[in-house]
Amino acid sequence: MIEFKDVNKYYGKFQALKDINLKVEKGQVVVLIGPSGSGKSTLLRCINGLEEITSGQLLVNEADLHDKQTNLNDVRKNIGMVFQHFNLYPHKDVLNNITLAPKKILKLSQEQAEKEANELLTKVSMLDKAASFPAMLSGGQQQRVAIARSLAMHPDVMLFDEPTSALDPEMIGEVLDVMKKLAAEGMTMVVVTHEMGFAKEVADRVIFMENGVILEDSPAKTFYENPKEERAKQFLSKIINH
Amino acid sequence: MDFSGAFSWVNIRFLLEGLWVTVQVAGISIVLSFIIGGLIGLVRFAKIPYLSKIVGLYVEVIRNLPLLLIIFFTYFALPQIGIRFDIFWSAIVALTIFESAMLSEIIRGGLNAVPNGQMEAARSTGLSYGQGLWYILIPQGLKKMLPPIVSQFIALIKDTSLAVIIALPEVTHHAKIIYGQSTNYVLPMFVAMTLLYFLVCYALSLVAKQLELRFK
Repeated sequence: MIEFKDVNKYYGKFQALKDINLKVEKGQVVVLIGPSGSGKSTLLRCINGLEEITSGQLLVNEADLHDKQTNLNDVRKNIGMVFQHFNLYPHKDVLNNITLAPKKILKLSQEQAEKEANELLTKVSMLDKAASFPAMLSGGQQQRVAIARSLAMHPDVMLFDEPTSALDPEMIGEVLDVMKKLAAEGMTMVVVTHEMGFAKEVADRVIFMENGVILEDSPAKTFYENPKEERAKQFLSKIINH
Repeated sequence: MDFSGAFSWVNIRFLLEGLWVTVQVAGISIVLSFIIGGLIGLVRFAKIPYLSKIVGLYVEVIRNLPLLLIIFFTYFALPQIGIRFDIFWSAIVALTIFESAMLSEIIRGGLNAVPNGQMEAARSTGLSYGQGLWYILIPQGLKKMLPPIVSQFIALIKDTSLAVIIALPEVTHHAKIIYGQSTNYVLPMFVAMTLLYFLVCYALSLVAKQLELRFK
């Protein structure tokens, strides 16, 4: 479903991704971890073309993202993305945040779009806030709306870029619960997160990155209990013991 | 001093005729400079290759020239290369050239003030860049831009008085003609101009306040 072949990514002279080879199969949940600046967010953002790769090949749903002929808008329709800072549209209420893209791109009628939005809001337990504006919601609530907004395009892949890092500890659970629900439904997910509980429970694989290189790619259980790489061990001991 | 003759019916009418020209020139220039300034601001914000550089140069040059020079240039110099406008349109063209450069910077700044994540969120749902601009960035940017845009419009209204220099028959010019008839009329005419300019500009800022409230 997603395949990186010898992908390199430069920002000017700085190499953010080095010879990335990675395959994510349909229905898999892959967690990316690593220290800040390791390239995990960059890797994630390449998948929906928010960042352009410099060389190599990146296939998503059989579309070659590095090919000039590929229409990125079409590719993005099928890839949802959830951001660290939610990025809800502050000038639109919750309902209109969700219905905008389905109305403009999938050409759904107002009625149909609202019907689907309400179903999604029910799914993320936010139906009672449909008429609220983002500024009136807590971080956890905003993030759940943001997830509903991405799902409204019926994506086959969901990308999560540190979805709980900007949240109060109390609200992390409600967002992770929604993500777990999605994983259980068989959604293909790539998640940048340090939430170990989540990773252990739902991830098929954990990918550890540092300095733009994939150092380890292991089943979640193996990774947390017995990481192969020394650097991964160090990293884990730091995030556990703080 | 005898001020009584200053506000004869004929003088008041003459003054108001001047005001009408001021309002027309300002109104047309506001609309044109908003459209052109908006387009320039968008082109520069979107960093459209080549075009962005060209309009960027235009803005830099125009912003660093006095409006008076641009008015002179339009009315006296352009005819020598065959581009001829009458006084009324010379004033409008000069004001539009000048104010569009100013407005484009306000509009570009307003769009830049919208966080990057907004466009990214829009693009990630499959919206095109144009759709992201139209549905997400412009509505949010406009809210931030509205106060400086209105200030610029008010500046434009006041700047129309500079066109007195090419004898545009606007309110300052007409007042000048009236007080030219008698020194007794000088003070009343300046008071009248003060009031008229204030009222027109203040009315605009009231409209803008209403708009701002509606945006919120």
